[in-house]
Amino acid sequence: MEAASAAHAEHHGHMPVANASAKINREYFGMVLFIVSEIMLFASFFTAYFFIRVVQGEPWMPEGQELPVYVAMANSAILFSSSATMHWALEGLKHNNRKAFKTGLVLTLILGSTFLGVQISEYVHLGFLPKDSAQASVFFSLTGIHGAHVAVGLIVLATVTRRAFKGHYGPEKDKHWGVEIPGLYWHFVDVMWVFVFTSLYLL
Amino acid sequence: MAASLRSPGWYRAALWTAIGFVFAFALVVGIRAAADFGVVVQWDSIITVALVTMPIFFLYGIGCFDTWLYWISGRPTKPDDHSDHGAHSWKDYFKVNTDHKVIGIQYIVTTFFFFMIGGLFAMIFRAELLQPGMQFIDAQTFNGLFSAHAALMIFVFMVPVFAGIANYVLPLMLGAPDMAFPRLNALSFWFLPCAGIMFLASFLAPGGAFATGWTAYAPLSDQAPLGQTFFSMGVQFAGASSIATAINFLVTIITMRAPGMTFWRMPLLGWANFATSLLVVLATPFIAGSQFMILFDRALGMNFFDAAQGGDTVMYQHVFWFYSHPAVYIMVLPGFGIISEIISANARKPVFGYRMMAFSLLAIVVLGFAVWAHHMFVAPMQNWIRIPMMFTTMLIAVPTGVKIFSWLGTMWRGVIHLRTPMIWALGFMTMFVLGGISGVMLAVVPFDIAVSDTYFVVAHFHYVLFGGSLFTIFAGIYHWFPKMTGRMYNETLGKWHFWTTFIAFNATFAPQHLVGLEGMPRRVADYAEQFAAWNMFISISSFVLGASMLIFIYNMVYSWRSGPIAPANPWNAHTLEWQVSSPPPIFNFDDVPTVVGHPYEYGVPGARHGIFKEPEPVVAAVAGDSSTTSTDEGEPAPA
Repeated sequence: MEAASAAHAEHHGHMPVANASAKINREYFGMVLFIVSEIMLFASFFTAYFFIRVVQGEPWMPEGQELPVYVAMANSAILFSSSATMHWALEGLKHNNRKAFKTGLVLTLILGSTFLGVQISEYVHLGFLPKDSAQASVFFSLTGIHGAHVAVGLIVLATVTRRAFKGHYGPEKDKHWGVEIPGLYWHFVDVMWVFVFTSLYLL
Repeated sequence: MAASLRSPGWYRAALWTAIGFVFAFALVVGIRAAADFGVVVQWDSIITVALVTMPIFFLYGIGCFDTWLYWISGRPTKPDDHSDHGAHSWKDYFKVNTDHKVIGIQYIVTTFFFFMIGGLFAMIFRAELLQPGMQFIDAQTFNGLFSAHAALMIFVFMVPVFAGIANYVLPLMLGAPDMAFPRLNALSFWFLPCAGIMFLASFLAPGGAFATGWTAYAPLSDQAPLGQTFFSMGVQFAGASSIATAINFLVTIITMRAPGMTFWRMPLLGWANFATSLLVVLATPFIAGSQFMILFDRALGMNFFDAAQGGDTVMYQHVFWFYSHPAVYIMVLPGFGIISEIISANARKPVFGYRMMAFSLLAIVVLGFAVWAHHMFVAPMQNWIRIPMMFTTMLIAVPTGVKIFSWLGTMWRGVIHLRTPMIWALGFMTMFVLGGISGVMLAVVPFDIAVSDTYFVVAHFHYVLFGGSLFTIFAGIYHWFPKMTGRMYNETLGKWHFWTTFIAFNATFAPQHLVGLEGMPRRVADYAEQFAAWNMFISISSFVLGASMLIFIYNMVYSWRSGPIAPANPWNAHTLEWQVSSPPPIFNFDDVPTVVGHPYEYGVPGARHGIFKEPEPVVAAVAGDSSTTSTDEGEPAPA
């Protein structure tokens, strides 16, 4: 049997090309599904928020634990504009405008890091800790998990930027996915911030 | 030696696991020293961090991340020559491999390893329950044993073993050369041993293993000793594994089917895994969330579940069961797919109500998200939730009933071949119906309140998970054993395995209904004198049940080594995986076949499912005897 399967293997030396039974790019679709599961992870923490704030009717936030709404608003503007520069970078790549592509990526990195820096500085200056109340636990968890996603996004985008400066990627159909898929993740991180920001700071 | 420490493998894995521990130690002690706490060595914190770093460093050492790190570092990536496809000796199963067939077998063997340990734990605490009073182990150990039993069986056996079977069979069935993301597939497998070993290692933690059951209800789990952290962290790894696999399955099923295979020509195993993967992607993040909250409470001193600080303990149960109820469907839907394949092929008839079978799977997915609070009828939640949840729980029996009647309809006036997989399938149907009926009983609020946390509940979920899911797993493993190994299993031993398991299973779990109705509480190490007779009977039966698994292990090991050579298509089945050699060639197909008809047209003259290109002469000698000569009422395969 061993000999038979070895002879067999030699005659099957190439990998057949899989049939594309759907038009969508596989990696892009995989990222979409990953984002769906990420949304559900955030949803589990929003459930905690809902139960503590709405079902139990605890005050939001407790006495003496105020949140700096205006700082966060300005910080949100920074994060949202990074989505725009990301889109600009991708459009630049698709139209073979390398300068716009690279500038867009670098600007996205700068804006994203600024957001993260301001967020950390906000943690330091809040004047209360995660253990001080259940509301504080929810606040730090939701913003912290979001911040972790921003950090992951920055690492991925830094990799993309480095490769962009090495001349990788191109406007061809199969050479922009390496930018478009991290970009999709970055937009998800931004859109998720709309919900985190609205429910924690504004409402 | 230095070279072997640089290349992926077990030496580098051992080295990096050790580095992971040192890293965790340095990180915790270093940060505290930097924050002016002085040099404090607090093992609880160090081990908590090490539970994150050690598995990840291990995964790097074994080689899960190498290609990705190559890419991240900006170097030009090597084009994948697929030289690591296939396993040429048993040692190849201990390496990172991107071949879905190797990964499938890695999954199945690893999960069965944890299954055996989980079963052994059950027999240890059954020995304690043989007589009233305390004999061998103390109450804390007892709690740890039943908790670890459940955690191993659910997170590193039942959920992933289906992923393993589907990993092997599904790409072949769909006419795909591999899964959509082979490296992610390998990573999802290697998460599993990390999770399983974490559950086991908790027995070494100070204070003993996690002892809060697999549900880990807060605030009990907030205050439990360090072993609880092992559970929460292990669940994160097992959960990441199942989410990654589910994404892989969904992309494979949707984008990589053979030409001509529309969704309505897809085998029902494909449909079942499609439905299961939807459940996993949507629900599993919730258990990750619940365990993150426990971890944050334990490690960072947060107060999600401290009522004095505004926390909400009932919220834990909502978040937990929002995953863990769909999880019972994650643990049985792939089994439904396996049973559909087996019953149709062994009754030589098309699946009755094929479309209804697919729709009922989707109905279970949708309804599965609307029943979670039936686990919480005695929890202090809002009363008005109870009746709607009772209603949806009863409703979910309808799509399940559709499946049962469709299987009966498939067998009706068929030419039934009672081979081992078919016997397991029939055993599944009877046992699962019994478990389903006690499930409908438990849906009734007053009845549930009366028997809450008694052995009646234990009996119910063992009928659906052991008599249901596990029987489908055995059916599937016997059914595809010739395809996976290229050898036939021993039919006589297979039947002995079935009958010993079937009888011992019923002897173990049927009496638990009775003692449960009389009020014997579950999860307690001691019990009242009145339950002594039944418990002795249950314990002895459970030892027979454990022993019956030895027949299975012997049959598998012996047949894999020296069973008779299997033909390509011993069951004369029509689905694509049976049209290639046993075991399949390294890249599954020379050319992707074209699908021209339904997969289950048994007994229909001239019906074809897949058409292959004219094979080359050498291939014909090995695999060509399958599709061309298959007759519908063929003889049972020699065994």
